[in-house]
Amino acid sequence: MSYKAVIIGGSAGSFQIITALLSALPKNYSVPVILCLHRLKHIRKGFDDALSIKSNMPIIEPTDKEHLKPGFIYLAPANYHMYIELGGFIALSTEPPVNHSRPSIDLSFASAAYSYKNKLLGILLSGANKDGAYGLKRIKDEGGTVIVQDPKDAQVATMPETALDILSPDYILSSKQIIEFLLKLK
Amino acid sequence: MSLETDKIQEFITTIKQHAGYDFNDYSERSFARRIDRILVDSKLSMDDLIIKVKKDADFLEQTVKNITVNTTELFRDPEVWQSIRYRILPRYESQNVINIWHVGSSTGQEVYSMLILLNEMNLLDKAKVFATDLNTDVLEVAKKGEYKYRYNKEYLINFDKVIKENPYNYDEYNNVPYEDYITIDKNRDLFAMKPLLTKKPIFRKHDIITETNIFNTKFDIIFCRNVLIYFNSNLQNRLFEYFHNQLFKNGCLILGAHESMLGPITAKYRKKGSAYIKK
Repeated sequence: MSYKAVIIGGSAGSFQIITALLSALPKNYSVPVILCLHRLKHIRKGFDDALSIKSNMPIIEPTDKEHLKPGFIYLAPANYHMYIELGGFIALSTEPPVNHSRPSIDLSFASAAYSYKNKLLGILLSGANKDGAYGLKRIKDEGGTVIVQDPKDAQVATMPETALDILSPDYILSSKQIIEFLLKLK
Repeated sequence: MSLETDKIQEFITTIKQHAGYDFNDYSERSFARRIDRILVDSKLSMDDLIIKVKKDADFLEQTVKNITVNTTELFRDPEVWQSIRYRILPRYESQNVINIWHVGSSTGQEVYSMLILLNEMNLLDKAKVFATDLNTDVLEVAKKGEYKYRYNKEYLINFDKVIKENPYNYDEYNNVPYEDYITIDKNRDLFAMKPLLTKKPIFRKHDIITETNIFNTKFDIIFCRNVLIYFNSNLQNRLFEYFHNQLFKNGCLILGAHESMLGPITAKYRKKGSAYIKK
């Protein structure tokens, strides 16, 4: 595969596509998959378990400085920002929320963009706020490939629409097409 | 985020030469993000920021304060506090003195969380509590123990969980009112720790990277939660060694919920939940 990592951001309305995606990806998928998802403030525990039920790959809420490996899903822990450092490892932070979000999709995307350059695939899904658009633009600016979920297909269109306002993605795809795209990568 | 690495290095070198603070071993992306924030807030270019910290010592101090992250909560991660209460503190309760050090205590919420637990276990009089931070502004807030009510209502949810419930014994319920420890005045937007708590700890300025132990004692418990995440692995490992030397045998180091030791250093500690116990 021409990518070294896939990073996915989602918020309200993205749970369904995430679980569909996790059940579709095989357990020997060849790159690490990084998930930065907003969750409700008091649902801090059990989210990884809920996602694990459908997933063929183990889901990890990583500890600080953990190295990313193919065949694993890395879920940004609740109440932390998650940076991807040069060399492919995690750095966590408890800085205040950015755009009311912690984890902030923008921060995860922007750091991964810097660290993986054109070897990164970034995907922004359904959501009710503006997080992720800036970060997705950073991925595009660094030469990475970006996919925005088609606002017509998204349960909540605000997040994909905001991204489309500030960048031209490589692909605008429905949730079904996004999963097909990921499965075709070898 | 697009700041050039050599400019950041020049900034780090300048700070070290002029004031002794050492940011060389900070985690790169999160450090770049902090600098990015400072540039946006101050409307300075990176070159101007470097020039200004060279010329203006007060500005340099303020910049260092802005780089450090000061978020903290009362009973952050309630499950961790429950394990400290029911699994860690009992190890030390028969001692005459319990020495505790909070490293990077910020505005003090973690210190007060621990003091509340100690008092609930009738250990407050035995405890010697030290708390340090690089940033003197947050230490002043910590000494007062006064916070905004409006932003911190969820502290009370955490309080109930840690103080009233025992996850190891569901039949137990301790009906302790928060008023035993906390004064809330909604009109003044005040959430204040009571004097029995605020009179107890010793707060001092201390730089964990460049200074040694300033208290001339070893410790039973060292808290260092969500501080090391801003440092690279080399510095983390150096500090795990350092804390090992500062602990009594069987003393414990408590890290943040998503922090862990990796590599050879793990042989020197025994992991018990989120606590690392010195072998």
